[in-house]
Amino acid sequence: MLDWDIVACNSEFIIQNLSFVNEMASRLYAWLDSRLNLKPVQRTLLDEPIPGGASWIYVFGSATLFLFVLQATTGMFLAIYYAPTPDHAYDSVRFIETEITFGWFVRGLHHWGASAMVVAIGLHMLQTFLYGAYKSPREVMWMVGVVLFLIVMTFAFTGYLLPWDQTAYWATQVGINMVGTVPLVGDLFSRVLRGGETLGALTLSRFFAIHVLFLPAILIGGIALHLFILRRVGPAGPWTDDRASLSSETFAPRQVYMDAVVIAGVFLVVATLAFAIPLPLTDRADPSDTSFVPVPEWYFLFYYELLKYVHGPLEPLATWILPLLIVLIMMCWPFIDRNQVRNPIRRPVALGSGLLFLSIVFGLLGISIKDLYAVPRTDPAVARGKAVYAQFGCAGCHRIHGEGGAVAPDLSTVGDVRPDRAWHLKHFRDPQATSPGSFMPKFPLTDQQLNDLTSYMLSLKRAT
Amino acid sequence: MTEAELPTGGFSTPVGSRRTFFHWITAAAAVFVGIGLAIPMVGSLISPAFVRRRRDWVDVGAVDELFPGHPTQLDHVTTIRDGWMETKAQKAVWAVKQPQGDVKVFSPICTHLGCGYRWDDAEKKFLCPCHGSSYDVDGRVLGGPAPRPLDLLPAKVENGRLLVLYKEFKSGLPRSVEL
Repeated sequence: MLDWDIVACNSEFIIQNLSFVNEMASRLYAWLDSRLNLKPVQRTLLDEPIPGGASWIYVFGSATLFLFVLQATTGMFLAIYYAPTPDHAYDSVRFIETEITFGWFVRGLHHWGASAMVVAIGLHMLQTFLYGAYKSPREVMWMVGVVLFLIVMTFAFTGYLLPWDQTAYWATQVGINMVGTVPLVGDLFSRVLRGGETLGALTLSRFFAIHVLFLPAILIGGIALHLFILRRVGPAGPWTDDRASLSSETFAPRQVYMDAVVIAGVFLVVATLAFAIPLPLTDRADPSDTSFVPVPEWYFLFYYELLKYVHGPLEPLATWILPLLIVLIMMCWPFIDRNQVRNPIRRPVALGSGLLFLSIVFGLLGISIKDLYAVPRTDPAVARGKAVYAQFGCAGCHRIHGEGGAVAPDLSTVGDVRPDRAWHLKHFRDPQATSPGSFMPKFPLTDQQLNDLTSYMLSLKRAT
Repeated sequence: MTEAELPTGGFSTPVGSRRTFFHWITAAAAVFVGIGLAIPMVGSLISPAFVRRRRDWVDVGAVDELFPGHPTQLDHVTTIRDGWMETKAQKAVWAVKQPQGDVKVFSPICTHLGCGYRWDDAEKKFLCPCHGSSYDVDGRVLGGPAPRPLDLLPAKVENGRLLVLYKEFKSGLPRSVEL
């Protein structure tokens, strides 16, 4: 039973307190306003007219801006513990994951915030494209926006290396090598990126500096320019001028409210992902382990998939000519699409080419994800093999994902190194037969155990 | 509400309770995101301040090698955890075997300002070179500015081995306060 008197009493208490806070806030504001003349600033910021009124379709820019702030703040707190050197980076990230209260959560927010930012920018660009909002007089705003998008992708690329685990190391290796395939300047560029010939200490520290100092500075400048242009030319509003002129509404309070609701929703989604999906590190970066096949973040997957289809003399076409061309087309799009009309139904060519581009990107992304997750489900033989591994004390000599002795070869990715089942069967029967000079003893295994152990070995692959 | 009482707003801006609703929802969203970020981030920032140093009993040597009334400096290697780093450091303690057979173990740091002291076998005193504090074989202050006796470390004898729990104490105080 609820005691309604207490409920009423409590709510009255809360309301009293809230109105007290309100009262204090408005008095503080009045005090500051009398000195700093804030009212005109407030009017400029909040009373910006929105043609056609506030709308839920205009929230993507604000959501992106919020995600940038989220990335900046979580990044600052991660930097408190992170050490950008090859001998400490991995351990410091593991320290954040395991030892620091909420460390795993802050890292999770930063990780998922990055993905969310790519999604938000994608939707923001899609809406701008659909509404023809890039057309005169907003061409420069679109171009600055494209630059901002490229900066965000560079953020993603430079941030991926920082945990210094196998995925990070090898993905970056591939990324830099792709830069190397550009004719004439490629070699120089890749050497500048690495800070020399090897991906190592200099690479990590420069990626860190670029990620946390250079890019934020450029991005903040770009955002300021993007917003400055927005305030000079005003928001585009609905695609039909007569509807835009029908009504107009100020930015506050309704658009602010819509932006706030969406931002809270975005935060809830990112926080839930950070909470529910752990991001374990893969093994520590090992430059000698060339068997590791890295997988990029999902937003680079379509490109990764594309590179699978292009080989030989055509490879530069995919690695740099096509991306360069797409970026150029995106940049110059307001000048390519000279059609004055903004209504999407009356812009079939623009809409068609946009749709074609998106279907190619998402098609490649879909194929790539399908391939990655089409891995067979856990085989019961693997679990039995794992038990055999434990039963015979294999971990005394062999190491798997950092657990076990270091006397014998590390088996973390043995399934990639030796995918041949027959080899393992022969090896376990008589180690010296396949590896002459090996000091591994012969274990008395039954055929069933032999098969199970081999299944377990073959299942040890890089994380996908 | 009559027309004259309507709050004024630009263009077709919402008025009255509708406007208040938008304000409250905006404020609620801001508070939600603000608290949702502040708790984990401030928590992560301050969490190392609450981690207490973990000490283990360390073997500093055989009891047989100690003689009553004759303080001996015993070295041991201890593991220091500093964030994600683990380093080995050599620490010394002064052990004094008592006539009854148990062992008193002193922290090797002068209680005055934290210098290392030594045993002077001729004078039968612990002498600190910095400011001239001196202690007797039981750690009692004999002279100089030392504010308190030498700090005792927890010690025990197991299977003929002397085990010590190494600790550090604040210097300059009249009472032993563990760091």
